[in-house]
Amino acid sequence: MAVQSYPRSQQRTGRLERREALTFYLCISPWLLGLLLFVLGPMVASLIISFTQWDLLSPARFVGLQNYQKMFNGDPLIWQSLRVTVVYTSVYVPMEMVGGLILALLMNQRLRLFGLFRTVCYLPSVLPGVAFVIVWMWILHPDVGLLNTLLSWVGIQGPRWLADPRWALPALLMMSLWGLGRSMVIYLAGLQSIPQYLYEAAAIDGASGWQSFWKITLPMLSPTVFFNLVLSVISTFQTFTSAFIATDGGPLDATLFYVLYLFRQAFQYFNVGYASAMAWVLFGIIFALTLLIVRSSDRWVYYEGERR
Amino acid sequence: MKRLTLVIGVLILIIAFLFGCARPERPAADVGVPPKIILRVGTGDSGEGLNPHQEIIARFENENADILVQLEAVAGRDYYTRLLTQIAAKDAPDIMQIGDDAVPMFASKGALLPLEDYIKGTYPLDTQMYLPGVLDPGRWEGKLWLLPKDFTPLGVYYNKKIFDQFGVAYPQDGWTWTDLLQTAQALTRDVDGDGKTDIWGIQLTANWTTGFEYWVAAAGGRLISEDGKRFVGYMDSPETIAAVQFFADLYNKYKVAPPPADFNLWAGGNTEFENGKAAMRIFGRWPQARYRENPNLDLGLVGVPAGKVRANILFWSGFGIFSGSKHPEAAWRFLRFYAGKEGSEVWKDWAIPPVASVAEAAGLTTDSLEGVWIRELNFLAPRAYVFTPYWNETADPALRKALETVLTDPQADVAAVMKRAAQEAQAALDEKLGQ
Repeated sequence: MAVQSYPRSQQRTGRLERREALTFYLCISPWLLGLLLFVLGPMVASLIISFTQWDLLSPARFVGLQNYQKMFNGDPLIWQSLRVTVVYTSVYVPMEMVGGLILALLMNQRLRLFGLFRTVCYLPSVLPGVAFVIVWMWILHPDVGLLNTLLSWVGIQGPRWLADPRWALPALLMMSLWGLGRSMVIYLAGLQSIPQYLYEAAAIDGASGWQSFWKITLPMLSPTVFFNLVLSVISTFQTFTSAFIATDGGPLDATLFYVLYLFRQAFQYFNVGYASAMAWVLFGIIFALTLLIVRSSDRWVYYEGERR
Repeated sequence: MKRLTLVIGVLILIIAFLFGCARPERPAADVGVPPKIILRVGTGDSGEGLNPHQEIIARFENENADILVQLEAVAGRDYYTRLLTQIAAKDAPDIMQIGDDAVPMFASKGALLPLEDYIKGTYPLDTQMYLPGVLDPGRWEGKLWLLPKDFTPLGVYYNKKIFDQFGVAYPQDGWTWTDLLQTAQALTRDVDGDGKTDIWGIQLTANWTTGFEYWVAAAGGRLISEDGKRFVGYMDSPETIAAVQFFADLYNKYKVAPPPADFNLWAGGNTEFENGKAAMRIFGRWPQARYRENPNLDLGLVGVPAGKVRANILFWSGFGIFSGSKHPEAAWRFLRFYAGKEGSEVWKDWAIPPVASVAEAAGLTTDSLEGVWIRELNFLAPRAYVFTPYWNETADPALRKALETVLTDPQADVAAVMKRAAQEAQAALDEKLGQ
């Protein structure tokens, strides 16, 4: 009898499962709809648009790979914008990784007032990007700005910052460091999840603070470092606001970030097809870099739960 | 039961979401009254700039009971993007505001209705009543597409306080580049003797390419050929080079202009003039109201100086009718009201009204400031965008780069820089024309 009843119960479970699956899809459908309508749909559309020439008004014309060809030979500004973006990323990401960690280590004290300090450090990250940039533009004003005034007190004639092609990109880097709080917060969370007994054991064995940092803190923190690195690379490659507001890509295209140039092509020149092609190339670059980081993570990221 | 509630809840959410995406409901007409025509007016103005629009709309609705006008303001740099997507979706405002250099794009792509038939139709418009030159930016390929909203040529503001302090004579109408240089040199002063300039002669406009077209026109040059196909031979002509050279010399050689605070048209730019640290400033009418109330300034205004020739350029924006409008005639009635005497009656309190008789009756033609702007309209040279719809993406970046090069590098060879700029612009234009 038991054998006979088995399939029937199987059937019932199947029906139940189907019903549960249906409810599941129904429940996530608002999100699913949003994803299809506002993310996947536009992504597929932009891929198609990238093979056309389209100015939003006249009908789109299919041009095959022409947009991609033009990018790789025939548009010097693409290379300039890639150069700016890569230089900026390769300086900013290490600065953010190390700076954020140092800040987090400093703030990881269980003392009075440190909650306040943490809040203060994170505060700039809460500010809307545009307001943040405008404040910095005042600070960096070549003649009456705060920074050059301070420098003049110690006898230094400051550079013309955003108006100088050599100093504009370093000025933007300096500006972005105000946003260190974001990575600091993530590091702090990582630091506080490291069990205290590891440090106690190390101290009993006579390890110095320096040794326990290299042998305990850093390995235990490596998943957080990994997470921060991926986030930082992705967001830095998409840098836009600071250059859009502060310099408009100038002077002499010294701060023409890739995404800013993309925006210009799409919404100032209305070369929507070309801009879509640029977007997909950027996607390819970021995807490849992220893949590289993920692949390399086996070598340097330590997960406690993992058996090796 | 619980699951049922859940499912119903989710369904309600989805329905609410879909309704949220739907178009907002139009106001319902009162029962018994014939339904009103609803006109949508799109503008890129914002803040106080909306006041004249709203006042004109209120007056229009008072006189035209069958029409309701809705103002749709989209401020910022996204205005044209929004407009283009609305046009592509055939859901654009019936009446749209478009700025001078965007006119060729919208007109050539069929987004606007030509106005000639309406001008001669049931509701005629007298096109002779306008101030000189203010109708021209609304034309493209021989047809009129837009009527003027507001406009300004360039002028030279000066601060009488600084002129009086150093006993320098005010600039006079009909002055020249030589006079400009001499006046600016006489006013550039190191007051406290620390070796740094404290008062500058004239604040200039750095890498502002459109404003730079004045210098080229006054040098007797132009940036593009009449047929709209050549930059080479124009952007690198002796006249253009002379204009760039003089402009750069004012900064680098004579040092009468404060160095650019930034090279970003959207940022603050230099502030020396309004702080009483520069004696003159060349610019449009835009900050005039602010300057009048500024205690640092005792404001005077004079036309731009002549180089080889006397020339000025116009900055302009106007209103046109969307080619897909369902109520073109009602839209025309509003446009005619807006850009006609009635609208000018409101505009005269905010800017220079386009209708000559209104400006005259309000005493603006003889006003010491407004009269200068109106007189300058007699010397307008056409701007480069008039000759090609591709100006913004071909020559504009090249010219901007050239200006930034000569301003940041005093050793730069102006002729070589302009030659390269002309070639870059030409290559970009050839590619566009070849498509």
